[in-house]
Amino acid sequence: MTLFIRLIGQNVLSFCAYLGQLLLLAVDSFRSIFTAPIRWRLFLGQMLEVGFRSQLVVVVTGAFTGAVFAAQTYFQFHRLGMDSAVGAVVSVSMFRELGPVLTGLMMAGRVGAAMSAEIGTMKVTEQIDALRALGVYPIDYLVVPRLLALMISMPLLVAECVGLGILAGYFVAVVLLDVQGAYYLDYMISFTGSRDIKMALTKGVVFSLIIVFVSCHQGLNAKEGAVGVGRAPTEAVVIGSLSILVINFFLSLILNAIFPAGV
Amino acid sequence: MITIPIPETPPASRPQAPPLISIRDLWKRLGEQEVLKGFDLDIPTGQTLVVIGRSGGGKSVLLKHIIGLMKPDRGDVLVEGESIVALSERQLSRVRKKIAVLFQSAALFDSMNVEENIAFPLREIGLKNQALIDERVAGALEMVDLAGEQKKMPEKLSGGMRKRVGLARAIVTEPRCILYDEPTTGLDPIVADSINRLIRRLQKRLGITSIVVTHDMKSAFHVADQIAYLYDGRVYFKGTSEELRASTDPLIHDFIQGRSQELRTDD
Repeated sequence: MTLFIRLIGQNVLSFCAYLGQLLLLAVDSFRSIFTAPIRWRLFLGQMLEVGFRSQLVVVVTGAFTGAVFAAQTYFQFHRLGMDSAVGAVVSVSMFRELGPVLTGLMMAGRVGAAMSAEIGTMKVTEQIDALRALGVYPIDYLVVPRLLALMISMPLLVAECVGLGILAGYFVAVVLLDVQGAYYLDYMISFTGSRDIKMALTKGVVFSLIIVFVSCHQGLNAKEGAVGVGRAPTEAVVIGSLSILVINFFLSLILNAIFPAGV
Repeated sequence: MITIPIPETPPASRPQAPPLISIRDLWKRLGEQEVLKGFDLDIPTGQTLVVIGRSGGGKSVLLKHIIGLMKPDRGDVLVEGESIVALSERQLSRVRKKIAVLFQSAALFDSMNVEENIAFPLREIGLKNQALIDERVAGALEMVDLAGEQKKMPEKLSGGMRKRVGLARAIVTEPRCILYDEPTTGLDPIVADSINRLIRRLQKRLGITSIVVTHDMKSAFHVADQIAYLYDGRVYFKGTSEELRASTDPLIHDFIQGRSQELRTDD
C-alpha cells in the first residue's frame, strides 16, 4: 500500500515538475520576444517550414473530414427530412471542434516531431552548447522563431482546414447527394457566426503554444544517443496530441461560455 | 594518497603572468558521482595549460564550468577577476565572447556550410559588412590550412577537417582564450600532429591563452606550457612537461606510460 501511494506521489510530483519546466520555458520564450532582437531570417524559414509546407496535410485533412462528415450527417438527417440542416452542422462542427483539433493533431505530428528531432539532434551533437558558448541564448535562436511562426501559421491553417471542410461538405451534400444548395447555404450562414470563427482561431493559437513548448522542451532535454534522440519526437507527438485532446475539452467549455453556440 | 606539492612559483625561465581564469574550490556532483572535489587552478594569461586525466574523470565538466555551460555545486570560477558562477545565461554572453571553445565533436552547425559556420560568431558580435566578413573567414580558414573550403557542408568533411573548421570558428573573433576539449581524440596520428602544431602556432602567433583537456600524452607534451593532472576530482599535479616527465609518483608514471593497474600487478 505504501509502495502504491509512493508510486502515485512520485508520478504526481514528476508531472508537476514537467508542467513547471514547460511554464518556465514559456515565460522565458515570451520574455525573449520582448527583450531580445527577433531573428527574422529564422522566423521566415520557420514560416516556410511550418506554414507553407503543411499545406498538403491541412488540405487533405480538412477536405476529407468535411466530406465524410457531410455524408454521415446527411445519412442520419435524410431519414428525418432535415437534409438542408447538414450545412449548418458541418459548418459549426468544423469551426468549433473538428477544424482546430484535427489541424492541431496533424501539426503536432508533422511540425512537433520535426522540431523536437532537430533540436534534440543539436543537443546531443553539442550544437546547442556551441550556440551558448558563442554567446547565443538557445531560446532566442531556436524557440522564439518557431513560436512566432506557429502562432501566426496555426490560425491560418485552421481557417484553411475549416474552409476546405465546408467546401467539401457542400460538394458532397449538394453535388453528390442532391441537397438543395440554397437551403444548405441559408441554414449554414444563419447558424454560423463570428463567435465560431473566434473560437476556431483561439483554439488554433492555444494549440500552437502546446505544440511549440512540448516539442522544444522534448528537444532541449533529449538524452544522449540514438535512443534519446529517437524518443524525443515520439514523446513530443504523443504528449502534444494528448494535451491537445484534453485541453480542447476544457477550452471548449470555457470558450462556449465566452462565445455561446448558436446564439 | 601521495600528492606532489603544486609548485608555488613557476620555473625562473617562464615568469608567471596574472591568471586570466581562476578556479576556486570547485565541487560538482553528476548523479551519484562526485566529479570535482575542490578543484583549484589558475590559468596564466598567454600560456597553454593542459589538463590531463582519465576518461570520465571530469575534464570536460571542468571546461564547461569555465565557460558557464555548467553551474558548480560549490566554488567559484573567475574570468579576469569577475566571478561567473552567479551570472545568468544572458549575462554570460558577455564573458563567453572573450572565450572560444573547440568542442570534442567540433559541434559545427550542420545546417550551415563552412563559411556560414565561421561567419556565425562574427555576425553575432554585430559585424554586417559582407566583404569584411568574407575576408575574416578566408583569413581564419587560411590559418587552419583550409583555404578555399568555404562552400563545403560539415557532413562532407573528415574528422580532422571538422576540427580545423571548429578551430577557425573559434579564432575568427580573436578571443582572449580558447578551450580545447580533446582536440586530437579520434584522429589518426598524422592529423593529430597537425592539430597539435596548429594549437602551438595559434598560441605563438595570436598570443591566445589556451586550456587543453586531453588524455593524449603526446599531444599534451607537444602543446603545454604547464600541465595539470586531474585525479579524483582535484589537481594532483601541476608543473611543466619536464617536471611531469621527471616525476617518480607511480600514479603519474602509470598515466604517462599508459599502464593500467592490472598490468602493474601482473608485472
